[in-house]
Amino acid sequence: MAKTPDDQRLELLQGTLDMLILRTLQWGSRHGHGIGQAIRSQSDDLLKVETGSLYPALHRLVKRGWLKAEWGVSEANQRAKYYTLTAAGKAQLLREQDRWSQLVNAIGRIMNPAPASKE
Amino acid sequence: MRRHIPDSDDLDEEIRGHMALSVKERIERGEDPEAARLAALKEFGNITLTRDSMRGVWRHRWLDAVEALGRDIRVALRSLRRAKGLAATVVVTLALGIGANAATFSVVRAVLLRPLVNRDEDRLIYIRQSAPGIGDENTTFSVPELNDFKSRVTTISAFGDFSTVDFAMTGLGSEPRMVKAGVVGGSFFDVMGLRPVLGRLLDAHDDGPKAAGAVVLTFRFWTSSLNSDPSVIGKTIRLGSRTATVIGVLEPSVPYPARTEIIANVVTSPHHLGALMVTSRVHRMTEVFGRLAPGSSIDAARAELTRVHADMMREHPEAYSAKANVQLKIARLRDQIAAPARTILIVLLAAAAVVFVIACSNVANLILARSVRREGELAVRAALGAGPGALRRTLLAESLVLCGAGAVLGVALARPLVAMVSGYAARFSIRALDVTLDASVLWVGAGLAMAAAVLLAYVPRLPSPHAPAGLGLASGSVRITPGTNRRLRLFATTQIAFSFVLLAGAGMLVATLVALQTARTGYNMRQVLAVDIPAPVTGLGDPKAINFYQEATRRISALPGVKDVAVGSFVPWRDAGSLGPGFQFTVEGYKPADGEEDPRARMRMVAPRFFAVLGVPLLAGRDFTDDDRGGSEPVSIVSQSVAQRLFPNGDAVNRHLTWTDPVFSIFGKQVPSRIVGVVADVDDESVVPGPALTIYQSAWQVGVAGRLFVHAAGDPYTLVPPVTRVIREISADQPVERAATLEDVRATVLSPERVNAFVFSGFAGIALLIAVVGVAGVLAFSVSARTREFGIRLAVGSAPRHLLTRVLSEGVQIAAIGIAAGAAGGYALARVAAGFVEHVQLPGALPLMGAAAVLIGAAIVASLMPAARASRVDVLQALRSE
Repeated sequence: MAKTPDDQRLELLQGTLDMLILRTLQWGSRHGHGIGQAIRSQSDDLLKVETGSLYPALHRLVKRGWLKAEWGVSEANQRAKYYTLTAAGKAQLLREQDRWSQLVNAIGRIMNPAPASKE
Repeated sequence: MRRHIPDSDDLDEEIRGHMALSVKERIERGEDPEAARLAALKEFGNITLTRDSMRGVWRHRWLDAVEALGRDIRVALRSLRRAKGLAATVVVTLALGIGANAATFSVVRAVLLRPLVNRDEDRLIYIRQSAPGIGDENTTFSVPELNDFKSRVTTISAFGDFSTVDFAMTGLGSEPRMVKAGVVGGSFFDVMGLRPVLGRLLDAHDDGPKAAGAVVLTFRFWTSSLNSDPSVIGKTIRLGSRTATVIGVLEPSVPYPARTEIIANVVTSPHHLGALMVTSRVHRMTEVFGRLAPGSSIDAARAELTRVHADMMREHPEAYSAKANVQLKIARLRDQIAAPARTILIVLLAAAAVVFVIACSNVANLILARSVRREGELAVRAALGAGPGALRRTLLAESLVLCGAGAVLGVALARPLVAMVSGYAARFSIRALDVTLDASVLWVGAGLAMAAAVLLAYVPRLPSPHAPAGLGLASGSVRITPGTNRRLRLFATTQIAFSFVLLAGAGMLVATLVALQTARTGYNMRQVLAVDIPAPVTGLGDPKAINFYQEATRRISALPGVKDVAVGSFVPWRDAGSLGPGFQFTVEGYKPADGEEDPRARMRMVAPRFFAVLGVPLLAGRDFTDDDRGGSEPVSIVSQSVAQRLFPNGDAVNRHLTWTDPVFSIFGKQVPSRIVGVVADVDDESVVPGPALTIYQSAWQVGVAGRLFVHAAGDPYTLVPPVTRVIREISADQPVERAATLEDVRATVLSPERVNAFVFSGFAGIALLIAVVGVAGVLAFSVSARTREFGIRLAVGSAPRHLLTRVLSEGVQIAAIGIAAGAAGGYALARVAAGFVEHVQLPGALPLMGAAAVLIGAAIVASLMPAARASRVDVLQALRSE
């Protein structure tokens, strides 16, 4: 698998990590490593989440009640924590998606203004 | 839903799980297992940090702050260990300040703020009658007056009465002795709302002349004199001529109005059943308490009592002289008990607060000086990215450690201080007797320490991130800025100013004490022994009592070492106030001016040779003789003031005088007595001698004595055993008590003044000590920071002597400004205080000059060492030092 050189990688926007985690768990539970890999592969290697940020974020989301954690056995045949969206987590994901698209729209309008209409 | 909070093992295992997956993925991509493991580790980054931040998610936010502070405190402890001298000075200074405040506050709280044990104590009131016109603060009440209240007042549901009587008691303990007893009616204990700890209290069945004699012991007497012996209940004791049964022990309570050992019913006191007591409106000896009726307020009670009292005065004008200006005062019992101590405690609290301010400003000084020395360190930390918050926290941690230690030591100090302060305050309010150290001391100590810590943390200047810090960073040497120097001096000046206020106050009290102690009293103070030998049977002109006193005088004068002996009725100062403000009298040919009442004079009963024994000179006429006895011509001797005021022509001897006071009306018309002598004025009531109108009557004619005066050739106290023995030979049950020379009697009476002076001198001494340390510290610091300057001065030809005087004059300058500020501030403070407290005195010139001289002297002493150091600076070293 070709790796993207570090200088082409994108920095995560502040506050988006929680949303991405929730999103990757939308279709079922994963362990921490899997979540990291999913973000990376689904962004075509452009986004890489540092473990130093990922794990504290996971615990934060559990503490808020958006995720729940259960021990399971990973494909490496070792105990691993699997994270699942809770009902509150699903609601939160919807809220964040809404906010995100509003933000993208707003920023898009500033960066690529539509030709001013003359009346 | 409770979430499971992961522990360390959980976190480790989760990270291990992640690693395993990461390694497995790499191996599947074809990497070598060992290389895969290393790469996974590398990719993961700092495992410890990640685990800490995971754990951090689960932790409360304030725990973080506490942990950070804990870290800072550990650093502070380490860095203070390198400055032991400074730390010790700061801790001791703060401990003095905190200890003095905590102790004073707990006494104030116990005396002024704590409720009494009495049931519904806020409904319990105390009623006092006073006669300010004749200087009588508490005239008490007579039985007819109390009966008027009882029958006319509705806002008070019940009245309790209490009068103080001295009984000769036998049956408790081995020796016959005098006890101070309360004599109360049947309603007293119910009105006071007190309970027994043993047996029962006096109630309505014990009231009246037909009841059996019964006494209740006070808790203090029962525990301290009788070892809490429960078998005392049911014992029969003799009180004077009557007997009584011990029926109970009173719970611990504030003894007011008098600290008595027993409380008895009226039947034990023949006097209380006599016609004088029961029918005379002016025979006043009863203190009155009341319980507010349900639904009535103290204001309503005050209004009604005042109205009833005004009616009484209108109905019986002969019993309330217009000059006496009789007043009624109604107060809650609690307030009444605390009132005399209020002023002194507030002053004490203020003095303690001043000591605290001085201590804090001294500590601030030391901390400021230290932080200037640490500017280099702080600059390095700021350069490394420590924000102002973090730097403040470092300083706060350090001052917390110092103040915490100061508080601990201060609270430990508070224990002996509380004992001292409460012993002192007990002279003013009886409540201070049972002050104990309680948790409030801890709260006050901790609160003061916190306040000091926060203040101190904000004293030093932080290195500004914008200012060039190069120099400080590079050399770590001390650079004293004008701003810092100003602040140091300001704190030192503050200390001097506050010390000056305390010193001047203490000086004033000491000057008062010295003036009192050296005042001439007119008595032979050293060689006269005064002894209480109260008559076992009291009664006017009782021949048995007169025989007893004559026999005692005769036998004692035969004892070896006795020069002379006489009986009297009044030990100077010790018996002050016991006979009221004096009685009205008139002399033949004297017409008071219109509207004027008859003059008042003190009445004293003395035996022949009394004046010779006490060293009071006879100015005209003759002394009493043994022939001036019952049945012979009534005679009297007057003091010089009486003679001069009423006989301006100097012809007092052989004229006649008559008592006219309404108190005596019960005995029928008073017989005039012939003045046979004039003696010098002596003031036996007040320790500040003033002209006193005194009329002496012959003890053998009037028959009331009870005090023995022995003029000793040698040490008067060696006469106590033989005198006691002689008296017991005559009368085995006779109490013989309180033998003391007049000098010692006066010293005891003066002891509140002495303690005042002592306590304030103590505070002032502490303040002075702290201020000296402060001035010395500022100058030492300023000298050490200016080593280079002194070196240059010496190099260009300054004489070392010059530098010495220069530093000395700096110290004197600080002291002088401080004294000026203290004088101005103290004056302003006294003016403000005068608005709240009566009798605010300003110190005279002598104490002010004394205080100023002491402070200037202290400043010179404090500057000597730094000055000497400045003058001994080694030029070459100083110039090379940077």
